[in-house]
Amino acid sequence: MDRKPLIQRKTMISYKTEEKTVLRGYNVSDLAEAGYTFADGLFILYQGRIPSENERRMLDYELGEFLEHSMSPSAVSSIAVINGHPMLPAAVAASIMTFGGAHGPGAQHGYMLKKYLDRAADEGKTPEEVAVECVNEYMDSGRAVMGMGQPQHLDGDPRAEPTHLTQEALGVAGVYLRFQRALEEKFYARRAEEGRSYVAVNMVGAGNTALADIGFAPNAAWALGCTVRGYSCAAHALYTLKKGRAWAASRNEPMVQMLDLAMIKYIGPEDRAVPSQEERAEYAKKELESGEFRKWLI
Amino acid sequence: MANLKHSDDRIAQMKFVKRKVEGTLNDPRLRYDYSNREVGTLPPDGREGFKWVSEVAYKNIHRIVSRGYDTTEFVEAGYGMTDMLFVDYQARIPFVEEREVLDYLLVIMLDDGLSNPALLARAIARGKNYITQSCGGSVLAFGHAYASFDATGKMIAKYYAMVEEDGMSIADAAALLVKECAKEDHFGINDRYLKDPAARKILDYVEKKLPAVKTIKYVPFMKEVVKAAKAALGNVDIDLIGAMTAAMMDLDFSPEAAWCIMSVTRAFGASAHAIEELERESFDYLGSQLTPKEWYDGPADRPVPSISERAGFAGAQAKTPKEWQDAWKEKEKLFGSGYAIKFYIEDPRKVVSKKK
Repeated sequence: MDRKPLIQRKTMISYKTEEKTVLRGYNVSDLAEAGYTFADGLFILYQGRIPSENERRMLDYELGEFLEHSMSPSAVSSIAVINGHPMLPAAVAASIMTFGGAHGPGAQHGYMLKKYLDRAADEGKTPEEVAVECVNEYMDSGRAVMGMGQPQHLDGDPRAEPTHLTQEALGVAGVYLRFQRALEEKFYARRAEEGRSYVAVNMVGAGNTALADIGFAPNAAWALGCTVRGYSCAAHALYTLKKGRAWAASRNEPMVQMLDLAMIKYIGPEDRAVPSQEERAEYAKKELESGEFRKWLI
Repeated sequence: MANLKHSDDRIAQMKFVKRKVEGTLNDPRLRYDYSNREVGTLPPDGREGFKWVSEVAYKNIHRIVSRGYDTTEFVEAGYGMTDMLFVDYQARIPFVEEREVLDYLLVIMLDDGLSNPALLARAIARGKNYITQSCGGSVLAFGHAYASFDATGKMIAKYYAMVEEDGMSIADAAALLVKECAKEDHFGINDRYLKDPAARKILDYVEKKLPAVKTIKYVPFMKEVVKAAKAALGNVDIDLIGAMTAAMMDLDFSPEAAWCIMSVTRAFGASAHAIEELERESFDYLGSQLTPKEWYDGPADRPVPSISERAGFAGAQAKTPKEWQDAWKEKEKLFGSGYAIKFYIEDPRKVVSKKK
């Protein structure tokens, strides 16, 4: 058997021989035998170091609370995909890939923190000062402040504030949390001054801050968030696969299914006859000239 | 043209429109009248409206609940991610020893060098995608050869059931498994881990940890299968898939759950590879990669025929089964056509029917 990898790369992450698999210098089997946990392994993977016990606890706390979020876009993706009965990894992959600019945009928040903390370092300002600047600059320009607001948890994500508090209790709060706390204070105050509704910190704001303070780079933090959610999305897919109906459209179920045809509300052009090929040129010319089609362009 | 009775009573409530139709839609052999059909979307029926039904989790404005546990209360009580996997997949709190075994497995699974999940994640990253695309894409490497957790698990369960339900001895069931499955991609025993003790250590760790809190059966059975395989095949040993699947099943995860959990676990490792690719390599651009001609062994370079010459070319339609079969064999020589891929379709005559 040819055991060569498909690609050749210099890598600082890992290697595998017939004798062992080595991650950042540690034999993974030895790590497991020594009692290191999966959370420890993630520090080694992304940061090349064994964390302090409280850092490990912080990560484990966060992964534990972030793993399941019931019906979010990612879970819905996995359920929709498995309805076609592909192999399970397709549904799992789809769920993880659902994370983007609206669903858990962790890296963007991380880079926003970096941008303003860079400014603090370069200009001799405190995290609190640049946090106020951050809120003002985003709100003045009409842009959403990252890490704030969640469309389902209108009174605040139940996980967010406890995450801040846990970070403080475990003694793993650093410059990122100082910045984030100040950002939230300013954000709440300014919205109140403007007579706008309360919008609370979300799990990107809270969770990503904690991940940053325990050493994870913005993209590593995002990878952690979206991937750990993959575990629960896979469970939702598996539940649907084993206990649901393929296609999700059966009329034999007592409840209307997700893809029952009655679920469709069509608001496009009225039903119309297909023009014959003889009529085609004239028909196409009229459509183009009327410009009616432009209102349907997407 | 036959008029079929409507299969859905909602159709009767809809508006019908007569239309002039063309082509095969006028063919009298059609089993329905295409020139007189309903338009518009279906009206609702009397059933309860659609809801996301789940046994796994729900959330409201103030809580996220998995299998009955508020997830914030859960982590505040000192439970962690590995515990949460038991809750999500099994609706139960695991013993500490079970959590330790799962942690052990997840650490082992985290990374595997420049293997296919890493390759996929790196390739996706080179297109300048979000890191989330690399994480998700890596999961697709987990097919039935690379990571056959579900197939391996179902194999183990099938033969162990012969012990539990049919009274077969463990040794006989193990020997039968080896006899019938040794050539399968999901066998879980081969020569790949002869020099690396990691897989063997998994089985030992499970036997060290779990018997204090629960009865285990799959790991001891898999050890028996290894013994039978060595006797029948020679120098082979348990591989990571065989060991991890048996361990996951002794933790009461289903084979499919094991597949899901392990594929996601590796996505963490793959993401680090994607990040490294971004940090020390470069992006790829459409058309930028070249394929050396010496790597090509397809049809020789040839002139493109004119459109008028196309009329003289034969189609692919066979007239007889023999002609069709010969053509299939010929087409197998052109890799990339798909004809050379062997795919096993179960003979329905050999399936025990659930219908009386």
